[in-house]
Amino acid sequence: MRLTAALAATLSLTALSAVAQDLPDLAGKEIVVVTENAYPPLQFLDASGAAVGWEYDAMAEIAKRLNVTVKYENISWDAMIPAVSEGQYDMGMTGITIRDDRKEQVDFSDSYMTSEMVMMVRGDEARFTDAKSFAADDTLLMAAQPGTTPFYVGVYEVLDGNEANPRIKLFETFGATVEALKAGDVDLVLTDGTAGAGYVDASGGGLKIVGEKLGTEDFGFIFPKGSDLVAPMNAAIASMKADGTLDALNKKWFLDYKMGG
Amino acid sequence: MTPNPKPDKDFPWWLVIVTVTGLWLFYEVWASAVYSAALATLAKGIGITVVVTLIGYAGACILGLGLAMAGLSRFLVLRQAARLYIEVMRGIPIIVLLLYVAFVLVPAAIAAINSVASLPYDVEAKVEVLRTRDVPLLWRAVLALMLAYSAFLAEIFRAGLQAVETGQIEAAKALGLNGWQRFRHIVFPQAFRMVLPPLGNDFVAMVKDSSLVSVLGVSDITQLAKVTAAGNFRYFETYNVAALLYLTMTIGLSLALRRFEAGMRGRVER
Repeated sequence: MRLTAALAATLSLTALSAVAQDLPDLAGKEIVVVTENAYPPLQFLDASGAAVGWEYDAMAEIAKRLNVTVKYENISWDAMIPAVSEGQYDMGMTGITIRDDRKEQVDFSDSYMTSEMVMMVRGDEARFTDAKSFAADDTLLMAAQPGTTPFYVGVYEVLDGNEANPRIKLFETFGATVEALKAGDVDLVLTDGTAGAGYVDASGGGLKIVGEKLGTEDFGFIFPKGSDLVAPMNAAIASMKADGTLDALNKKWFLDYKMGG
Repeated sequence: MTPNPKPDKDFPWWLVIVTVTGLWLFYEVWASAVYSAALATLAKGIGITVVVTLIGYAGACILGLGLAMAGLSRFLVLRQAARLYIEVMRGIPIIVLLLYVAFVLVPAAIAAINSVASLPYDVEAKVEVLRTRDVPLLWRAVLALMLAYSAFLAEIFRAGLQAVETGQIEAAKALGLNGWQRFRHIVFPQAFRMVLPPLGNDFVAMVKDSSLVSVLGVSDITQLAKVTAAGNFRYFETYNVAALLYLTMTIGLSLALRRFEAGMRGRVER
């Protein structure tokens, strides 16, 4: 995205006040954004039951910069891409990995976050210590939700690139994969660092993180194909990258925020 | 082994155990921050669960009674149409039906409505185009449960209507009652009493099956449990609270229905 890069370079040199002027003004247009609230810390319910997270903060800032009104709706992850693809909602957000096969159904914004996966195992796991030693032992199993980032990282970076590999046990929710890990049905779950740390803290020694960080997946917002929101959203994301807003959000939600409190 | 002739007269030990367990959980809710936070969040889903259950069940009752009557109709077409509907709906898992209604049936219906509405009655008149998003997922989920349960309830109603003795209907004919009067005063009251226990069972089952709407992301108790546990990483505690809420509803409902049935029986035997 040469345009975005150029824009970002320009913006980084200009003063903050100039940023808002360069962005499109959508004149208070209402956009309906759909999410599930099941992907901490991007969007989740806090202890009081309020929907909060990185993406909510980012959208609030984008709404301010583009002058749009955001209305939130909820849908499950399984149903999200079809629903957005059909144009039932203007935008979907839930840490969605930008992938070519998905681009046939929806348009993506530029990446606003790059995620790295960690390997979560039971606290007493001693049979493997990293991705290579996990892959080498055919008796070891991993759990994943089909069609999610951890699933693809598991297939292409940990195992052999076969999406039907019987060593991957599929579960409908992320929580079920963690329960399967605790119960001993599987030996490995991949998750991003924040959620991993949250589960390890809450497990009282039952879970731990091993090995190196894996995979770099770029997250984007999704839109119905041909949506006129993509260009303004990209401009807003670029401006927030340039002025440090995204870095501040990363610090707030990935470092400072205490999950599971 | 001879069956016990009066199992209903047993002291309800099961209820004691359930109540004690329930009280323990309520104590946990009161004493533990994790439980009380989970309850506070999940309680927001009770309304949705109740709405889905009540409206879904009421609609299914009306539709089911209509289907049962169609199935016993004088007209072959009506009988076969009712049969077709019942067999197809009973044969599809509710979760499949739910996804089908939400993402195939409703969008198709909206497209059909729009194509009819945009017929050029008046070229000048701008017709408001209905969009799929104008039908919330909540109502699509309720519609799906209604369609699924109407088939089960139709079979209950049919059994009830057929169980009324023919002698009763002949006597009513002899007394000069017309078709509607026979149904209203003779057949329906007797059939109603017979179908009440199975209807009650399905009502309780509907409370539980209402949790299926969570696959669409409708914020009922189950969906809130799913997202709450995703955020607080406490599956055991969160799902305990969900189970507690469902059990309070289902067991409370069962007890109330049993009392109501006993009352009805009392009235007949008097």
